[in-house]
Amino acid sequence: MLFLLDYSTFLINGFIITVEVTLIGVGLGLILGILAALGDIFGGRIIKIIVNVYVEFFRGSPLIVQLFIFYFTIPMITGIRMDVMLTAILTLALNSGAYQKGYLKGAMEAVFKDQLMAALSLGLPTWKIFLYVVVPQALRIVIPAWSNELASMGKSTTALIVIGVREFLNTGISITAQTFRPLETYAFITIVYFIWIYSMLKALDMLYNKIKIPGLEPVI
Amino acid sequence: MTPVEQIVFLLKAVPVTLAISFLSFLLGLGLGVSLAFMRIYGIAPLRYFSDSYEKFFRSVPVLAVMLLLYFGLGPLLPIFKDPFFTSVISLGIVSGANQSQIFRSAISSVGRTQMLAAISIGLTQLKALRYVIFPQALFLAVPGLGSEIALLIKDSAYSFIIGVIELMKHTDILRASQRSLILPYISSAIIYVVMTFPVANYLDKWGSRKKRELGL
Repeated sequence: MLFLLDYSTFLINGFIITVEVTLIGVGLGLILGILAALGDIFGGRIIKIIVNVYVEFFRGSPLIVQLFIFYFTIPMITGIRMDVMLTAILTLALNSGAYQKGYLKGAMEAVFKDQLMAALSLGLPTWKIFLYVVVPQALRIVIPAWSNELASMGKSTTALIVIGVREFLNTGISITAQTFRPLETYAFITIVYFIWIYSMLKALDMLYNKIKIPGLEPVI
Repeated sequence: MTPVEQIVFLLKAVPVTLAISFLSFLLGLGLGVSLAFMRIYGIAPLRYFSDSYEKFFRSVPVLAVMLLLYFGLGPLLPIFKDPFFTSVISLGIVSGANQSQIFRSAISSVGRTQMLAAISIGLTQLKALRYVIFPQALFLAVPGLGSEIALLIKDSAYSFIIGVIELMKHTDILRASQRSLILPYISSAIIYVVMTFPVANYLDKWGSRKKRELGL
């Protein structure tokens, strides 16, 4: 596998892009997920329908199709041509938001129902309820689901090769085309993905165990 | 081609997509059930193996496994030269890790007490697994298996990259031949949603109903 050393900067750049799109995608997805969850809980009928169509579309179709739609179809309809990286991040964020909406809605409802009443009856103002009652608990509840989401997003970024983003797996494809040594290259790529995603899962697991409130674990 | 002909052309590829998903689901089911039993009731080396398998394949992208098997092992082992076979194998071994986790949590929610009760009335451990634990665990696993099937239908789209002629490939053919960027992608996205949505939802509802009925 020593020949891969010649391509180290190339591989590192690809890996950085993979990590970047994963983290930005999940981060933006969190914002979208919170908005969608709030819309589904508090919104009127029309907002609820919009949220559900959005969620079902992005959860029900493969990421590859979504990438093609954002790369080919939407620029064709609107006439706005976006940068590849921007397209990639936007699609990943919308995809991740649809999944996170589900977890967040569950977590929010778990906290909301009776505690909201209790906090209101104590006379807390709304922002204090949100800041001191809902958020600290909902974030704790959502961590296990959230670490799954990070892992699956990290794995899904491999789909970006179809629109030509130079992420980690794509660097492997280019290296194979130059060196004709697919076995070592793809084995190396697979192992690096394993190390990265496994350590991310482990880290979030440790965080969860550190901040969890004994006796308040979610029942899933 | 008229729009209707294009949609018919897309629908012709649906059986291949479903075949990949179904076969890889079966492979994953076999692997998942055996790994879960190994993990819970097996001797130390088996437990260790099952644990590492699950951790490894849950952290690895399916597409990387597919490319590794197809381009990396293909020249060495002729069976991996077939893209259809390779994509079923890669989706199956990755799904095995997911399904192992689904079954593990289902088996542990049935509980160790039932195992002890079964042994105390004179069943062997194997018989207790076969007649007491497994039938109940199967019901508990159904909702998880539903979303696993949906996941496999979506992930089967990756196999177009190694050249399997399935739904995604037909969409790509339409893009190239019809120079149409709107209809093929939108319709294939809708076809995928129509395939995944009912399976996941129905099995989830069925599973929760059964769970209530059985009092688990």
